[in-house]
Amino acid sequence: MLDPEFDPAAHVAAAAPMVGLKLDAARQAKVAAALALVVRTAAPALAVQLAPSDEPAPVFRP
Amino acid sequence: MNPALEIAGRIRAGQTTAVEVARAALARAEAQNPRVNAFTALLPERAMAEAAAVDARIAAGEALGPLAGVPYAVKNLFDLAGLTTLAGSKVLRGNPAAARDCFLVRQLHAAGAVCLGALNMDEFAYGFTTENSHYGPARNPHDLTRIAGGSSGGSGAAVAAGLVPLSLGTDTNGSIRVPSSLNGLFGVKPTYSRLSRHGSFPFVYALDHVGPFARSVADLAACYDALQGLDAEDPHQAPRAPEAVTPGLGAGLAGLRVARLGGWFGKRQSDAARRAVAAVAAALGASAEVEWAMAEACRAAAFTITSSEGATLHLPTLRTQLEDYEPLIVDRLLAGAMLPAAWVNHAQRVRALAAAQMREVMADWDVLIAPATPVPATPIGQETLELDGETLPLRPSMGLFTQPISGVGLPVVTVPVQRAEGVMPIGVQLIGKPWTEALLFRAAAALEAAGVCAAPVAPAFAAGAV
Repeated sequence: MLDPEFDPAAHVAAAAPMVGLKLDAARQAKVAAALALVVRTAAPALAVQLAPSDEPAPVFRP
Repeated sequence: MNPALEIAGRIRAGQTTAVEVARAALARAEAQNPRVNAFTALLPERAMAEAAAVDARIAAGEALGPLAGVPYAVKNLFDLAGLTTLAGSKVLRGNPAAARDCFLVRQLHAAGAVCLGALNMDEFAYGFTTENSHYGPARNPHDLTRIAGGSSGGSGAAVAAGLVPLSLGTDTNGSIRVPSSLNGLFGVKPTYSRLSRHGSFPFVYALDHVGPFARSVADLAACYDALQGLDAEDPHQAPRAPEAVTPGLGAGLAGLRVARLGGWFGKRQSDAARRAVAAVAAALGASAEVEWAMAEACRAAAFTITSSEGATLHLPTLRTQLEDYEPLIVDRLLAGAMLPAAWVNHAQRVRALAAAQMREVMADWDVLIAPATPVPATPIGQETLELDGETLPLRPSMGLFTQPISGVGLPVVTVPVQRAEGVMPIGVQLIGKPWTEALLFRAAAALEAAGVCAAPVAPAFAAGAV
């Protein structure tokens, strides 16, 4: 799912305003480093091939 | 030795009173807590009032609950009436005090237990080390220079230091099992949605579990049985009647099918972890090894969901009180708030697929054995772990073996092996199918009876332990 050229710093700069966060350059750099770790750790999940019949885990009980 | 049940027995027999027990426990906590930094709030007025009420009921000849007069304490994300629920944070300090106790504390009150106070934790439960920058680190009673684990670190340290015989914690990715392991305690993370979490501050709705710590299996079982009950106010709880585990504790191992989990669970661990798993496996007659191929993917899915859901919960205050957040987690929270929805949706589907695969793995087994943590407690402040020639970030890696299991919601009783590495203990996970806590307690009781697992008070705190 992840493009090998994914750039965490660029993503943080673009996404922060989208969720209402104003982060200075120093903070953006730290968050980009944290995001890089999240990406590395998430990769084995993102690499799993799913079929349309694979439903998500949460069960809503009305 | 069942310290909680023995206290209740002495009170019931008239050998002491709940007030005497509470007074002594408060004095001990006052004197010893500075060494371990487990408590963030002691509640002497509340404890003495609860204890006096227990004694009054005894004097009136009323029937008492199994934990009558037993002191306990709770992670400070559980609501205690009259106290602001901090969840380890500075951000929530200005909130009003809780109006009433959370469901689990009401259950323990009904069983006669006496609440001494609130316990230290990683901020918002986001960590495995309880190195809390606002309230100081919780210290491991077996070696005060080492971590108590997290995020329920105060809950582990308080029981291992003999400040209380029982405590409550929460476990999203390992936060009961990791402190159980590092402090050498018995702990249970029940099946997802078994116990009400209403009145506790959330971390990740999709993964949060609640449960107790204790120094014996019978104490843990008595506490867990008292906690069970349907709570109409908890929308996440499964509509399933309580299933007491205490009656089956002595049933032994006959008929239990036990195997070791290999693959992901056999790598990246210390010799101490390997030896502990081998000892437990030998005692349970587990010669077969099975593999859950999706363990790593499930861990990654739980990590992804945690990153996003945990962060989204805090987005309003991240916008306005960023500087009040724990420096050790704030950048992870901010990063999590920016994960694409596609990743989280994918992770939820991976989790379901992993659960289906685990059902097949477990079809022929009642209990699976795996390490609880890759290593015993590490020095406070340590940043990395060297495992199998790899350098890994320590804080997330303490959950390598717990996170995949909570990711699929399975029940786990963590059992402690003492002196696994020098003076330090380490824990082993006994993992069951959904709703089979009673089988896990049976296996834990057999391990305790065989002397393979035990949870004594840390030697430096043994004198006067509660």
